[in-house]
Amino acid sequence: MSNSNTNLLWLSSLRFLWKHPWHFALSILGVALGVSVVVSIDLSNNSAKKAFSLSTQAVTGKATHQIRGAAENLNEDVYRKIRLEGKIRKSAPVVEGYGRIDGLNRTFQILGVDPLAEGPFRDFASQQAGIELSEFISEKNTGLVAQAVAQELGVSVGDTLELSVGGRAYSLQLIGTIDASNDRSKRALENLLVVDISTAQQLFKMQGELSRIDLILPKNTEESVSIIQSMLPDGATINRSDSRSETVAQMTRAFEFNLQALSMLALLVGMFLIYNTMTFSVVQRRQLIGRLRALGTTKQEILTNILKEAALIGLIGTVIGIVSGYFLAQVLLKLVTQSINDLYFVLSVQELSIGVYPLAKATILGIGATLIASFWPAREASEAEVSTVLKRSSNESKIMERLWFLAGAGFCAGLIGVGILMIPGGGIAAGYSSLLFLIVGFSLMIPLLVVGMAHIFRPIFGKLNGLIGKMSVRGVVTELSRTSVAIAALVVAVAATVGVGIMVDSFRTTVVSWLETQLQADVYVQPPSAVSRKADAELDPKLVDLLKETEGVADYHSVRSVDVSTNFGTDNLVAIDQGASAQRTYQLKQEAPNFWQRYTDENIVMISEVYAYRNNVALGDSIFIRTEQGKAGFQVQAINFDYASDIGTITINRDVYNQYFDDEAISGLALYAVDGMEVDELVEKLRSIAEGMQEVFIRSNRGLREASIAIFDRTFTVTIVLRMLAMLVAFIGILSALMALQLERSKEHAVLRANGMTPGQLWNYVITQTGTMGIMAGILSIPLGILMAYILVYVINLRSFGWTLQFMISPGILLQAVGLAIIAALLAGIYPSLKMAQSNPADALRNE
Amino acid sequence: MAQNKHIQLKDLSKSYQEGDNNRSVLDELNLSIEEGEMIVLLGRSGSGKSTLLNLVSGIDKPDSGQVIIGGTDLTRLDEKDRTLFRRNNIGFVFQSFNLISTLTAQENVLLPLKLKGNANDDTAVQFLEEVGLGDRTDSYPDRLSGGEQQRVAIARALASEPMLILADEPTGNLDYETGRNILDILNDLVRKNGRTMIIATHDRDICKIADRVLELKGGTLHEVEHSTETVR
Repeated sequence: MSNSNTNLLWLSSLRFLWKHPWHFALSILGVALGVSVVVSIDLSNNSAKKAFSLSTQAVTGKATHQIRGAAENLNEDVYRKIRLEGKIRKSAPVVEGYGRIDGLNRTFQILGVDPLAEGPFRDFASQQAGIELSEFISEKNTGLVAQAVAQELGVSVGDTLELSVGGRAYSLQLIGTIDASNDRSKRALENLLVVDISTAQQLFKMQGELSRIDLILPKNTEESVSIIQSMLPDGATINRSDSRSETVAQMTRAFEFNLQALSMLALLVGMFLIYNTMTFSVVQRRQLIGRLRALGTTKQEILTNILKEAALIGLIGTVIGIVSGYFLAQVLLKLVTQSINDLYFVLSVQELSIGVYPLAKATILGIGATLIASFWPAREASEAEVSTVLKRSSNESKIMERLWFLAGAGFCAGLIGVGILMIPGGGIAAGYSSLLFLIVGFSLMIPLLVVGMAHIFRPIFGKLNGLIGKMSVRGVVTELSRTSVAIAALVVAVAATVGVGIMVDSFRTTVVSWLETQLQADVYVQPPSAVSRKADAELDPKLVDLLKETEGVADYHSVRSVDVSTNFGTDNLVAIDQGASAQRTYQLKQEAPNFWQRYTDENIVMISEVYAYRNNVALGDSIFIRTEQGKAGFQVQAINFDYASDIGTITINRDVYNQYFDDEAISGLALYAVDGMEVDELVEKLRSIAEGMQEVFIRSNRGLREASIAIFDRTFTVTIVLRMLAMLVAFIGILSALMALQLERSKEHAVLRANGMTPGQLWNYVITQTGTMGIMAGILSIPLGILMAYILVYVINLRSFGWTLQFMISPGILLQAVGLAIIAALLAGIYPSLKMAQSNPADALRNE
Repeated sequence: MAQNKHIQLKDLSKSYQEGDNNRSVLDELNLSIEEGEMIVLLGRSGSGKSTLLNLVSGIDKPDSGQVIIGGTDLTRLDEKDRTLFRRNNIGFVFQSFNLISTLTAQENVLLPLKLKGNANDDTAVQFLEEVGLGDRTDSYPDRLSGGEQQRVAIARALASEPMLILADEPTGNLDYETGRNILDILNDLVRKNGRTMIIATHDRDICKIADRVLELKGGTLHEVEHSTETVR
């Protein structure tokens, strides 16, 4: 095909798009919204990852290896031994934790270092960096922050910073600022407070203990590692310094994947809309295409031309999507960071980092998805027989003949989807692929279902709205090649919102009912924790004693939560001091005989179902934990439901824990009120006792439940935002598809007007028809939505996290879906009927 | 003589399935046309005139028989080659004009030229001037009257210098006066450029411009005596 020839065909296409601005704009909007959601999720995930990686690099420095203790800490004698006996000069002790600086609404990582040993590790914390040694290691609490942080706080060297660590307040003198050499270091240091090691030990109540020892080992490390390992006490281990960040990164993998998958779902909905608009655009031009074919334009040229149009729509939509995605990412970043902080680890992300990868991915997805979605309509247009292409009715009769074939193909696609679900060991990706097949399968059945529904609707609408009612329903069937595609697009879009809505509802209902069982005590006491769903801070022992002995407290039990090293990596170990009464609190999924009788004195543990799923551990298997007494094996004798953590926990009896760990600390306290005591009154009493000692959360059962649900809702905000975006895509889709359909029928409307239909009757006709399509789409979206929810809850959630959820279908969500479809459909009818009512039917009746 | 014929249709049959019935439209039809000949094809609605034109142009394929144009048997070509043959050798004039609504009059005329790779804006303008639309080159079809649209279609059909022009009820959508006018233009230009043309119509008035008049009846062609008052 010559260039000039291409140009003229292309020019014709461009003019067609230009002559149908609504259609053109809505196609672009469909792509833009899909791309925008994908870009925003990618940018916010990547920014969170980047921030994590920068802060990890900053605190890890040039260390190649790290020594860590069995529980969370390590005795500082180990450092002396390594440095003096092991003669490992490139070693540095580190005490680290989290705290907040008054005046800044974010959590800081507090890094306690020995500036004398820091030289080879972290430039900013070493003596060479200009730290005034005498001031830094003085008895006073002193520290350093980045220059930008000092500016943000409005403080200068010599000023005092007010700190809050684990609910305790401290004052710290700023003795210097760290001058970040470049933007990267600036971002890495924006949440870091560097203090002397003894200050850190005091802040974290870790006298005589270290968080870790950093090492720089020569390249040939095998031998050195084994020598060092032999010098370590039981339970302590030496590992590559990057292995820990890998573990942490693994925690968020499923979380990130699911967000990405949900964003892809929005893109899929967008693809259906693109398919719809492109099909419509092609159907609208069947005669024009027929003329071109009659003049000698080849099928290939038609196909290429329509795909070029799609590429243009894809390109413009992608550019708009990327720009809007950037702004959306600013909002989502806060939500994603909040979720990571609630669920996994402390992370502060101050700005969006824009990588080439998310932008390239968005461009490929945006243009690629548009081309894929447009390929079939384009192919159908190019393959059409020239002799019949000039008659639209031939296309309608063709789809009527193919109703059963399409439904059969849909059924087969559905079976493939179910088959994929059945693949043993199929992962999350298999779950989403199956979802895709089921969506496509259901969509292919829609023409048949529409015809079936029209049979039912016709007499009903006839009774309600007379001849116009009947005509409206009949019109949906006579134009099936257009209406079925529009309805299918609406069904998928609305079903996506139903699916995600049911999933969130099911999750919430399950968590609420679990909390009711889990929270048996009257009052709960917890120190503020850096990660909302983890109890990583300690209660002051004096405060614990005072609270336990408060008048009105009948009974109590405590919880200790620590991170330990097991044969599966770093895991959360929870020690509970409750006796057999704990069985009232814990809902067990599986248990060995007499579990509760044996768990107070045997080496057995209870694991959460998430832990069992993640690590493929079953009842009777053993978990090996590095304890201070060496590596010890614990048999899994119960699996419990636990929705607090998607990482999973190992629960052990406190007496058994004490045999292996020299740790008296308490992370949380549950108190029972004496009979007749008002819980709120007891809470007030306990709060007044705690005042001035340690900042702790003292909450009633109801208060804690509400706080937990608030955290749950917060972590699902991203999902809800995505669902709302999918609803927006759906709404625009419905609007665009139906509006375009009605505008296209202006000639038919003119014929009706010419035959005596009044503007009011025409309005009635158009609105009834779009309303009928809205009702059909709304009704059909319910089974597909429930199917999608079923897969999200029982397959994707299970494969991502391992949670057992109660399937909860709330009528509200279903009504919302049908309502969304109908309202959008009715709105879509307004403009065409207004336009038709105002225009002269003679104009529409004229030939081109 | 037969082997020198410009266009030959041999034993051409075509039928359509209508529900359970098989309706035969063309039944072993034979026709030979010489170069530069103007044939008028008469027939009632539904007699198969358009079907015959579709077969001659390669838009459709016969159930059996041969369509030989300038020595090329179209029935032996695949769909793509038939399209390319049509592009290079056949010009169309339709009853409903079938202009490309998104292209101007000049671009509509230019399109077949560009498809052939002979893009020449001057040729397009020249043909538009010949049909009396030299001042409407930039007008879109919806701004032109029916007669004007058909004149653009004639210019388009002739501009690419096709071997054969097919006209399907070229005056069917026009009033009497405009129809005569269009017919005159078509006759003048086709004769002037020495083109071969088949006009399908049910308007017997058109016969006067024909070299030969044929009537399609019962799936076969019958020669019709007509007035010798041809417009040459």
